[in-house]
Amino acid sequence: MIRLTEVTKRYGETLAVDRISLEVPTGEVSVLIGPSGCGKTTTLRMINRLIEPTSGLIEIDGEDVMSVSPEELRRRIGYVIQSVGLFPHLTVAENIATVPRLLGWKRERIASRVRELLAVVGLEPAEYAEKYPRQLSGGQAQRVGVARALAADPPVLLMDEPFGAVDPLTRERLQAAFERIQREVRKTVVLVTHDVDEAIRLGDRIALMRTGRLEQYDAPEALLDHPASKFVHDFVGADRALKRLGRVRVADVMRTDVVMTADGTRKIDVAACSGGRFVYLVDDDGVLEGWVDCRVLAAGTPAEEAGTRVDWREAAATPDTTLKDALSQMLGLGFRDLAVVDDRGRLLGEVSLRAIEQTMSGSDAHVSNLAEGEVLGAPADTGEGEVE
Amino acid sequence: MRNEGHPIPAEATSADRSHGARVDRVAGFGAAVALSGCVALPFVEFRENRIASGVGEAVTAAGWLGWLACALLAAALVAAFLPHAIRARALPAVAAVSTAVVVAALGSAATTLQEGQPAFARVSIGPGAWVAIVGIAVVWFAAWRASADVRTRWLAVALAVAGVGAAALWGGVPELSLAKEYAAQSRRFWPLVGQHLTLAGAGIGFGALIGIPLGVVASRSRIARQVGIGVVAIIQTIPSMAMLGLLIAPLAALGVRAIGTTPAIIALTLYALLPIVRNTFVGLAGVDPAALDAGRGMGMGRARLFLGVEVPLALPLVLEGIRAAAVLVIGIAAVTAFIGAGGLGVLVFQGWGQQADDLTLLGAVPMVVLAVAADALMRGLGRVVVSPGIREEAAA
Repeated sequence: MIRLTEVTKRYGETLAVDRISLEVPTGEVSVLIGPSGCGKTTTLRMINRLIEPTSGLIEIDGEDVMSVSPEELRRRIGYVIQSVGLFPHLTVAENIATVPRLLGWKRERIASRVRELLAVVGLEPAEYAEKYPRQLSGGQAQRVGVARALAADPPVLLMDEPFGAVDPLTRERLQAAFERIQREVRKTVVLVTHDVDEAIRLGDRIALMRTGRLEQYDAPEALLDHPASKFVHDFVGADRALKRLGRVRVADVMRTDVVMTADGTRKIDVAACSGGRFVYLVDDDGVLEGWVDCRVLAAGTPAEEAGTRVDWREAAATPDTTLKDALSQMLGLGFRDLAVVDDRGRLLGEVSLRAIEQTMSGSDAHVSNLAEGEVLGAPADTGEGEVE
Repeated sequence: MRNEGHPIPAEATSADRSHGARVDRVAGFGAAVALSGCVALPFVEFRENRIASGVGEAVTAAGWLGWLACALLAAALVAAFLPHAIRARALPAVAAVSTAVVVAALGSAATTLQEGQPAFARVSIGPGAWVAIVGIAVVWFAAWRASADVRTRWLAVALAVAGVGAAALWGGVPELSLAKEYAAQSRRFWPLVGQHLTLAGAGIGFGALIGIPLGVVASRSRIARQVGIGVVAIIQTIPSMAMLGLLIAPLAALGVRAIGTTPAIIALTLYALLPIVRNTFVGLAGVDPAALDAGRGMGMGRARLFLGVEVPLALPLVLEGIRAAAVLVIGIAAVTAFIGAGGLGVLVFQGWGQQADDLTLLGAVPMVVLAVAADALMRGLGRVVVSPGIREEAAA
């Protein structure tokens, strides 16, 4: 647990942080957010004493951070920054080994920890351990940055706009990876961002700051539904219902009883649809290749012409995708149903506009217009063309 | 690593730009210069004695070796136009062989021209041969860059050294005036080389000893940066002769004689400072602030951060500064002969005084060799001590 009590940072006449008090429960993610200059980064950097507070108390698991030396303190706190800051002259493995080395771990223990962490962040150890930072993409570098921060298994993780410097697609993947890792490691995390969607997606609690003061510290749902002030209301934005979709994952609403075939379009006829709207086409490994629209098929069009071929990287969601992103993807592609695949493209199911609509029903009216009341065909039990 | 044993290892990617080109312009230029020098200018000069003025003799004086030298230079010119795959091997080969053959041709010309002449007669390297040598050096540079792998490069060097060695041992090379001059001066030549190395080495050593800490201080404090780098930059602008003169008064005040080794080393140290201080500063200032922030945030103390992050990251530039200082100081060390510090400058200035060009060359040529060797040594050192993660991959 991290507890800040009346923490203040003053630079001359300016109050950068003004009597902030908040508590981050063990194993939870608290997001500091606010306009630039609001003091969120200063607050974060006071926790590991990269900035010394002017007054107030900061405790980690009940221990005053001022009672230990800064170096010793920081070795117990994982630290991830936007620009990553990997040491360019050291290999990925050596970078990750930084804190374990400072702590004097044995060589074998460090080596096995490095391999373990690379796997945790989704990088193949054999391939990446001996690479140098300049050989990595931005997303890979930040994965290494996260691995480095987790190296000595610190109970606390500080992240300063960790996913801010990468393209939107990579950011989405990094966020999904972070969620997965956090489910595994359950660190007490303080994360600074200026991206409301990121805060809502990743935060168990959100601390909204403004000119050094804490405006509201609450769960994302509470922040969306009961803003404490006009500032909070405005900062969160008008599309609160949409934002709330950022809290729900595709995995929560997807259906898995879809019809799929690895035989191509040859055997597909109306019977093969078995009442479903689509027959998904997959390859022998179950990787999504496209689908056949059963309504077009029913209208007498041959299966070869009723089919659509797609690249799963572009026309499918993953279980970790937020409903907000899935909805945006559907609108962009003009789909009412979106295939759901795993990270290698294997078909897992589908998510429908209707399911999303039901998730947010009652919370916002204008979005429900999108569904136009059309009822999508509910697939019956799986047909004979199914694989797996 | 995966390409181990393969003729084109990973390093080959370094010179991508020259690989793509249809024609190696650098090699073509060098070969054209060398060929024109070989054909159009006097290859050697015949003199009746050591200080008499010379009479130019064409490359034909070298007999068949002369013709072979010209033919090889023409071949180098052709090689510059060959497709890269062939060029990568043809250029090193032709550079190596033409180096050896030009040296052998010089020896052959010397032997032929001195036949039946009195013992004081001299045959010296003529303007044509000098131009050819410079051109061949350019071809070497291009060949180094174009060659596919390390093995080809060093094979070429070994071939050239063996060829030149053979020409010196069994050919007419000892008949060349420079060789005769060396034979005459051999007793003091090596001590002078030793003095030169001592002077330059001490200048670089003290320069690094003082300059690196100064550069570190400059990177930490703005005042130190402005004052320190300003002062060493002004020192650099003082002409070397003037420097030796200006040192007289302060040294006298300290009770040190203004002639001899001590003032020479002081002057050389002062000259070595600028490149070393400036590069140390630039190297440290260029360290990614994010890496420092991350290091601090992970609990690295000041000393660890400095030794473990800043120093290794600044190292390539620091070494580059020492390399530049070494080349500079080896040149300036020649001037210190004027204040009795010795070194190869002694031969150069005596040669000028006596109008004995061979003596001047006997001082000048080894200086060039020393500078090139120091340059290569520092580059080699950089390859060993700088992390592959931050090494410049450019060849040549």
